[in-house]
Amino acid sequence: MEKAKISAYQLFILIVLFELGSALLVPLAIEVNQDAWLAILIGMVGGFCLYLVYHGLYSYYPDLPPTEYIQKIMGSFLGKILAFIYVLYFIYLSARVLRDFGEMLITAFYWETPLFILNTLMVLLVIYTIRKGIEVLARTSELLFVLIILLGISALFLIVVSGIIQISNLEPVLEEGIKPVIKTTFTQTLYFPFGEVIIFSMILPYLNRPEKVKRIGLLAIGFSGLILASVMAINVSVLGVNNITRSPFPLLSTIQTIEVAGFLERLDVYFILLSVIGIFFKMCVFFYASVVGTANLFKVKESARLAFPLGLAILILSITIASNFSEHVKEGLHIITLYLHLPLQVIIPILLLLIAFIKNKKKKSNHNKNLLPKRKYRLAERDKN
Amino acid sequence: MFSFLKRKKQKNDRKIQELNNQNQTNKTLPNLIEKSLSKNLEVIKQKTGNSSDIVIRQLKICHNSKMKIAILYVKGMVDNQSVNDFVIESIINNQNLSEKLKPQDVLEVLTEDVVAVGGIKVVNDWEKLFTALMSGETITLIDGLSKGICASTQGGQRRSVQESTTNVSIRGSKEAFNESIETNTAMVRRIINNTDLWVESINIGKMTKTEVSIMYINGIAKNEIIEEVRKRLKGISIDGILESGYIEQLIEDQTNTTFPTIHHTERPDSVAGNLLEGKIAIFVNGTPFVLLVPALFIDFFQSVEDYYERFDISTAIRFLRTVIFLISLVGPAIYIAATTFHQEMIPTELAIIIAAQRESVPFPAFIEALIMEITFEILREASIRMPKAMGSTISIVGALVIGQAAIQAGIVSPGMVIVVSLTAIASFATPSYAVAITARLVRFIFMVGAATFGFYGIILVFILLIVHLCSLRSFGVPYMSPLAPFIREEAGDTIFRRPIWAYKKRPRLISGQNRVSQGENQKPQPPGTRVMKNTTNMEKGDQNES
Repeated sequence: MEKAKISAYQLFILIVLFELGSALLVPLAIEVNQDAWLAILIGMVGGFCLYLVYHGLYSYYPDLPPTEYIQKIMGSFLGKILAFIYVLYFIYLSARVLRDFGEMLITAFYWETPLFILNTLMVLLVIYTIRKGIEVLARTSELLFVLIILLGISALFLIVVSGIIQISNLEPVLEEGIKPVIKTTFTQTLYFPFGEVIIFSMILPYLNRPEKVKRIGLLAIGFSGLILASVMAINVSVLGVNNITRSPFPLLSTIQTIEVAGFLERLDVYFILLSVIGIFFKMCVFFYASVVGTANLFKVKESARLAFPLGLAILILSITIASNFSEHVKEGLHIITLYLHLPLQVIIPILLLLIAFIKNKKKKSNHNKNLLPKRKYRLAERDKN
Repeated sequence: MFSFLKRKKQKNDRKIQELNNQNQTNKTLPNLIEKSLSKNLEVIKQKTGNSSDIVIRQLKICHNSKMKIAILYVKGMVDNQSVNDFVIESIINNQNLSEKLKPQDVLEVLTEDVVAVGGIKVVNDWEKLFTALMSGETITLIDGLSKGICASTQGGQRRSVQESTTNVSIRGSKEAFNESIETNTAMVRRIINNTDLWVESINIGKMTKTEVSIMYINGIAKNEIIEEVRKRLKGISIDGILESGYIEQLIEDQTNTTFPTIHHTERPDSVAGNLLEGKIAIFVNGTPFVLLVPALFIDFFQSVEDYYERFDISTAIRFLRTVIFLISLVGPAIYIAATTFHQEMIPTELAIIIAAQRESVPFPAFIEALIMEITFEILREASIRMPKAMGSTISIVGALVIGQAAIQAGIVSPGMVIVVSLTAIASFATPSYAVAITARLVRFIFMVGAATFGFYGIILVFILLIVHLCSLRSFGVPYMSPLAPFIREEAGDTIFRRPIWAYKKRPRLISGQNRVSQGENQKPQPPGTRVMKNTTNMEKGDQNES
């Protein structure tokens, strides 16, 4: 662990940017058509529960990253294996995000540019940032967050002014009942983007005011959930169900429909800005967790030194992870959620929390016994005075 | 492995050491001043190489003119009037002196009675004597006494206090610093009349022995930062300090950056304002530019005048400056990206106009921009370096030949000329030259990004720039504060300029414990009626006015 401290406000912004990062761009929960926003909101509530689990683990070991407290909970051998699996998971996720991003740029703007070049540039930027440390990342996020908010507000204004929102597109609500919505929540939105917050348990130990972790995290998840849901609702109401199910990047299509005063049109640059900044932060957080986790697990003193080799690994992994985009998407939707997200984001953390709870209860009762005579003595002292 | 190489190296080292030792033995003087005047003068002549600008005036005084004394000073370094009137003349005319016989008595009379100059000290070793002589003091040596009297008669021709040429403002004090460190520190002291304004001086430079002073307000400036400044200054070991730029480059936090992490200014009111915020000023003798540390990024976008105008106007101007800086950074880059990669984003009519203009141009937009940018940089450099009389020639060549003719010849498109000139004007409008020159460099990186990857390239370079800026520190203070890390109560003085009465506290990261800078309720509260705020007997005003 490097010697760094980040503030509660910085953590809030990091979580929000991380959540919005890629979820804002892709067709999230589009299986349930016009009810996508509802699936996102339910996923957000699930995200609250998951965050409480991660926070529970954090509150037992406030100074340790997960790679270390897993070893304390599970014992050295099993713990090391599990921690290693988590580090691999983080590395894999950063490669996935990178691939998503490269494919998106190719589909939307750079038909002729090789994926490798686009990804390389991004990885170099991320490596540079991570070598500077978590404090620099947090400060950067503060500045770029303002830019994102300004972009968002102006885009919303333009959409409203150009009069392309048709609320009737959102009806009928719950056309096929609540069942498909719940199903989508538990197969998709719960894990992506909300369950991915597990990555922040690597960053929580850096917070300068630990008592605020719970509130800030829940606020950030709530805030980003609301933004995601409203953006999805706007997308649906602008494009209509028919168009949105066919669009690979609904937000891009929405922005392209903007036309104000016959002059402001084709504002694709909004989308590029949003996507590059969002993906940049998502990549950075994933990559930072991978680097710090690896350094922690293998006792590397200067974690910044790992940035280059790991970055190279992620770059190559992002190219070789799937042979084409549709394979990549299919893996992401059906295989990853079931075999990676579900156990690593939900089941194992809950188990860990249970074990930690039992362990600490034992310790606490022992502790209390030892403490009791002292307390009696102190009380007696106070009575005397 | 290469032991023979090592041995050779050791030999070389030894040789160098021996040489050094020889040099040192040559240099060493008899440490203390001797009694005999002629011997002393001999030493001085030998040491200074009999330099022609050192004046040695020998006098005979006392009873029957038996006692010899010598007066020495450096021509031009001293104030002639004070040397003639208060040293030489008063020694010659003094009655008391003629009665004395012993050299010791003469010394006493000279220091206590005769020499009518403010600062006087008696020294007995050569080094101090030479430092005094070379800094413009007048030395008096007495035959038979191993001591010298130094009278501070520094003076000579200096540039007078003039208007600032680099930090121009419409409202506010007109005077700017000049080359003399005493004048400069005095100018600041004239603004802050307080005993807590502390000045510390050291001499830096083995050859030049330049006087460098740090100035701060005790109780406002943070002690750790003062200590850090002291340490860094003391660590400097260099032949000469010719300008404050030397100091700046030797004490800055990070060298691998094009962004300045130390601020410099020519204006005393700017220094005073920064001192009141808890910053530390570094004065260097021989230059009007005073360094201010720690410097934040936003400092380079503010001028003192912002605080003299009312807040709404200043805020508007600061917004304008932000826009200006962005234009000077990414202006040409956006043009390149839009015309090369993202034509669909330009409104149709405009796109047709641009395409028509570019039809005859044989270069891609990037090369076109590069040609114009480099031409402009050449023009700018030429107009700074060349004699002023040639100015009109350059403007004719620049405007007509390069602007007009290049378009007519079909080498560049008119649109590009507009973009490049707008960028050029924008880079002149940035208040600080130090940051404007940085923007000039970074602009080319943005252009390369735009030429290779369009907006994706621009945004990548932009993020890189922000990450880089966020990683900088100036004397331990994050460079981008109070924006990142965001400090709510100080963010009002960044691209906004809140009203003066809302400045409750000094910057947290810069100043120490004592942070309250003004009393409560400083906001002027206009009375509801025509009653004056502080007097009640104005109510009659109603009748008098009509």
